[in-house]
Amino acid sequence: MSFNRSFLLVARREITQRVRERSFLVSGAVTLLIVVAVAILPALLGGDGPETYKVGVAGPEQRAVAAAADAAGGDLDARIEPRRVRDRAQAERLVRDGDLDAALLEGRVVISDEQLPDTLDSALQVGQRQVSTGATLRRQGLSESATRQVLDPPPLRTETLSGEEDEDQKRFIALATGVLLYMQLLTYGLWVATGVVEEKSSRVVEILLSTLSPRALMAGKIVGLGLLGMGQLLLVVAVGVGLALATGSLDANVDDVGPALLVLLWFPLGYALYASMYAAAAALVSRQEDLQSATTPLTIVIVASFFVSFSALEDPGGTLAQVASLVPFSAPLVMPGRMALGDAAPVEVAVAVLLIVATTILLVRVGARVYAGAILRTGKPVKLLEALRTSE
Amino acid sequence: MLAIEGLTRRFGDVVALDDLGFEVPRGQLHGFVGPNGAGKTTTMRIVLGVLGPDSGSVTWDGRPVTPGSRTGFGYMPEERGLYPKMRVGDQLAYMAELHGLERGPAREAAYDWIERLGLSDRADTRVEELSLGNQQRVQLGAALVHGPDLLVLDEPFSGLDPGGVDVLAEVLAERARDGAAVVFSSHQLELVERLCDAVSIINDGRLVASGEVAQLRARRGGTRLEVEVEGAPDSWWEAVPGVGDWTTDGDTVVLTLEPGADDQQVLAAAAAAGRVRRFGYTRPALAEIFREAVAA
Repeated sequence: MSFNRSFLLVARREITQRVRERSFLVSGAVTLLIVVAVAILPALLGGDGPETYKVGVAGPEQRAVAAAADAAGGDLDARIEPRRVRDRAQAERLVRDGDLDAALLEGRVVISDEQLPDTLDSALQVGQRQVSTGATLRRQGLSESATRQVLDPPPLRTETLSGEEDEDQKRFIALATGVLLYMQLLTYGLWVATGVVEEKSSRVVEILLSTLSPRALMAGKIVGLGLLGMGQLLLVVAVGVGLALATGSLDANVDDVGPALLVLLWFPLGYALYASMYAAAAALVSRQEDLQSATTPLTIVIVASFFVSFSALEDPGGTLAQVASLVPFSAPLVMPGRMALGDAAPVEVAVAVLLIVATTILLVRVGARVYAGAILRTGKPVKLLEALRTSE
Repeated sequence: MLAIEGLTRRFGDVVALDDLGFEVPRGQLHGFVGPNGAGKTTTMRIVLGVLGPDSGSVTWDGRPVTPGSRTGFGYMPEERGLYPKMRVGDQLAYMAELHGLERGPAREAAYDWIERLGLSDRADTRVEELSLGNQQRVQLGAALVHGPDLLVLDEPFSGLDPGGVDVLAEVLAERARDGAAVVFSSHQLELVERLCDAVSIINDGRLVASGEVAQLRARRGGTRLEVEVEGAPDSWWEAVPGVGDWTTDGDTVVLTLEPGADDQQVLAAAAAAGRVRRFGYTRPALAEIFREAVAA
């Protein structure tokens, strides 16, 4: 059977079998829930979304104040919805019953049940100031357009010395990419490993290898699970970014959203590297019980890289972060964070990608040889060098 | 025809196969017997390409076996193996596809075999949830689902109940009738004798006998005489020239004749000793041929 056909059959089986397993569906749902929570939490907690207040207005002057307050309230995240009230008695009743948050009355009075929220208070004060200033200026004979200019001067432009405008948002995205890549690399790497051992411990591998080559089997398994991982990531990123934009947790700004898409570049790079090593390590053992000791070194490298990626968030320009973002084993977890923070020079990114691709090509070859040399050896765990020698 | 020639394979210092060769024509049911560790499984693994030989060749219909021709082979390894979490139908369809069938025909073939093996109500069950007997049936299905021209089965009868043995024997005979070459190993020599057209016996990696069971028998069958003489002394044969070992059971004695011995002299001696009730050559069982071949 040709390599391509058998490779495709193996990859298809990996995907169709995995998506039917309850463990896959549950873990996928949990990941998605976490992402949904992370995406909408800032909006829920944050006061990032505007609050709408119902404010009673007793007459045209108060209605004008409310409108001006609403316009001014945009910066304060306070929207104001005016409601007509007949007189003070009705206004008091509605405010007390909670139907209104506040009411503007004749004689420059605002009533509320308890103390006014700060943002509403500020908005109403600004509105009041604008309306009365506007009235005064008009009485002095200033034209309508000049009056508006005076009332609404261009705001101050803010500039930071480091050139960064929204460090918090970048840091949040950098952290989220790191966590997502870490979970995904670890999960799918282990799935490759348990899949290899499942074939070995159930001995089905002997039938498989009578019609296809060890390399087709290994490649099909890695690529099949990788496509599944990529699909899951696409879904997670689409849902996460979509929700974050919809709820206002993220600003719809290419500079800020772009880094969230970095996971889609770095997952395949990191996965190809780690999955080939996980497959080779798993081929050395015959039982699920022995799998953990065979894969622990790899897992340690991933976990350590994850911790380095944390410290890189604090000091993205530091030596540790710079080195770790170039070393192929830690680059998939450290480089996306530095890129998201805007700290990685394009040449650094290019070098990191080149290094990881070159290392992966080498490791895929070595891994395939180990795999081919060990896959049919059952019983005691096979030594790495022995497996390499067998397949020569 | 499957032709194995000069197969040699070492594992470290151990010689597992030493210049082994035999042939299995299409339409033949071929028994492959030998003591544990004789090299049966190694031979089968080499035929299926799971293992490489150090030297020697395997050809199918006169051409060296390639991964392409192997898709037409069916294999049941000694260590049974299926995906434990895969459903029976999916599993067999996947095996059929791995052996070159397209997706649609693969599913059809899978469900045909599921029905033939009496597993229709188990098609959507995961293999790990089946009884051992049913798992064995699925295993057989995995070897047969793509309609192979060559079947190589390592101990297919072990672990089967008598009903299962009959089903399997019938399926194998049918495949051979349809023109497939079928070779299987077994320790159940009566079964091999009953089913097989030919056998190969190996010991310590070397072929010690191969051919049709009748030929093997004829090759050494003439050397044993079974004689029953009523009321004769236990030693009437001792003076006859050319008589070697003997065993007695009541009035019956089985004599081993050395080459060149004259059976008519034995008959005369027997008649002189008493009433001859029975006189004839024994038909040695395969088990006996096997024992001698392996001991030689």
